[in-house]
Amino acid sequence: MYAGIDLGSRNVKVAILDDQGQLKLHKFDTVSFYREHGHMEDGQLLVDLSALGLGDIGWQQIVSTGYGRQTINLKGAKNIAEIKAHVTGAVYLTGKEDFTMLDLGGQDSKVALVRKGRMVDFETNDRCAASTGRYLENMAAVLDIDLAELSKHYQHPVELSSTCAIFGETELIGKVVEGYSVAELAAGVNYTIFKRVKPMLLKLASPTIVFTGGVAQNQALRQIVTQELNKEVLVPDNPQYNGAIGCAVTAKKLALQ
Amino acid sequence: MKKIGITTTIPSEVVYAAGMVPVDLNNIFITHNNPQLLVEEAELAGYPRNLCSWIKGIYTTVLNNKDIDTVIAVTQGDCSNTHALMETLDLAGIKVIPFAYPFDRDYDLLKLQIEKLMTALGTDWEQVNETKKTLDAVRKRLWQMDQLTWQDNKISGFDNHLFQVCSSDFNGNPEQFAKEMDDYLAKLPQQPEIKTELRIGYIGVPPIMDDLYDYLEERGARVVYNEVQRQFAMPFDTDDLVEQYRLYSYPYGIFYRLEDIIEQIKLRQLDGVISYAQSFCYRQIEDLIIRQKIDVPILTLEGDKPNKLDARTKMRLDSFLEMLR
Repeated sequence: MYAGIDLGSRNVKVAILDDQGQLKLHKFDTVSFYREHGHMEDGQLLVDLSALGLGDIGWQQIVSTGYGRQTINLKGAKNIAEIKAHVTGAVYLTGKEDFTMLDLGGQDSKVALVRKGRMVDFETNDRCAASTGRYLENMAAVLDIDLAELSKHYQHPVELSSTCAIFGETELIGKVVEGYSVAELAAGVNYTIFKRVKPMLLKLASPTIVFTGGVAQNQALRQIVTQELNKEVLVPDNPQYNGAIGCAVTAKKLALQ
Repeated sequence: MKKIGITTTIPSEVVYAAGMVPVDLNNIFITHNNPQLLVEEAELAGYPRNLCSWIKGIYTTVLNNKDIDTVIAVTQGDCSNTHALMETLDLAGIKVIPFAYPFDRDYDLLKLQIEKLMTALGTDWEQVNETKKTLDAVRKRLWQMDQLTWQDNKISGFDNHLFQVCSSDFNGNPEQFAKEMDDYLAKLPQQPEIKTELRIGYIGVPPIMDDLYDYLEERGARVVYNEVQRQFAMPFDTDDLVEQYRLYSYPYGIFYRLEDIIEQIKLRQLDGVISYAQSFCYRQIEDLIIRQKIDVPILTLEGDKPNKLDARTKMRLDSFLEMLR
């Protein structure tokens, strides 16, 4: 068995791949994961994988990535660069070799240009998370709706600035006061995400966009990207596990070398 | 000897010829035991948060160093914020001497600027040309060090950066600086060759965080070209001082700088280039030109506060190196 672990800012995702290519996916809250399953040893976080409730698995290779990788080395695991993991996952899940990957996670926005299955350039968000899952959660909370409801709307968006994830809340409340409908407000929120990532998508453009990360579950945003850029937008199943799957695929490749 | 603060590289021959000592304020700021504190002090004085930390650091550095009562400020060819820096220093009672690199590299205008500086400090061409000979002898060691970095793989990216960046003011003592280099060079034959998988070029102003070079080297990549630092060391063989500062690429437009960058990418067989710009700097705009003109992979890095690399920048560096492999 081959395991891929994506140490994300909100969730730790685990993908388990077997020799037949079957995938099993698991998700843990990031803070609970570190608190309950990890302890420090020789300056590295040691995670007891057998206690995660994944069953008794004979691990042949474990590969990890993610934000936590910078501060934590998962014992027994080989670390790989985050965007590399995501590109590997996107290539594996779609079978495509030439595309632009858009990965919107808990706090990260990543755009990578992929040619012949290899990353040739990339961009990431900088200093602000106003195009990520955390931003959507905050805005949904302001509107008192859930993420599923938020992700339905893209028509008649209210105009919102896209400069700050937190000031965005105040601005949204202002629009509520002005009497806009929840549908228009939600569409406005979804459009701000598009506005943030549009320059990166244009800079690293391809006819096909592979959209991954938790935010890829937002159907309205998929619709907005498709119609605004006139591109083919592919969203693999379970897009939030893309990084973990990329790690698992890498683990299998390493084990078979 | 009287110390004179400088905001970036200026014709230091003139200062030394006048019997004074140039002090690169950037170096004093960044080697302070708590440079972030200096930035915060400038903000308390009223400097905006969304402004380059180098300018803020220089402001506080001048005010805190009572032996510096005169500053030569480069008002054209470096940073437009220097105008307001000069005004706020003036308000604090500091004497400011402006120096402007002509945008079009005009020989006569540059000569006029240098001569005005000579008049302001009280020296002449004869003394300046004599000083140039002394400083050129020191610079030759820097050129040798650079060669030992990229050709012989004997010098780390950080040491290459450090020695070259100091050539803006020769650490206030060219003789002592030359001796330090001689000592360093004498030990080199015993040092093993540095072997790294990737050869990286670093372009743009020197980084405000000091662990970039080591971080890259730990991950199998080494900086073998420091663009601006190398320019500080003036790697041009000319007896004409005006021509020397005309060949010096940093204060002129991006297209002239790119000629040097493109030549060195090829010569030094670079795998990729890190293009560094300071947060809130107009030079960030030039990134779009750099990306069109350079044909090796580029990572654009932005540095804000004087500190260590943040987790996000490390993630970007890791991904870039992975991409180059």
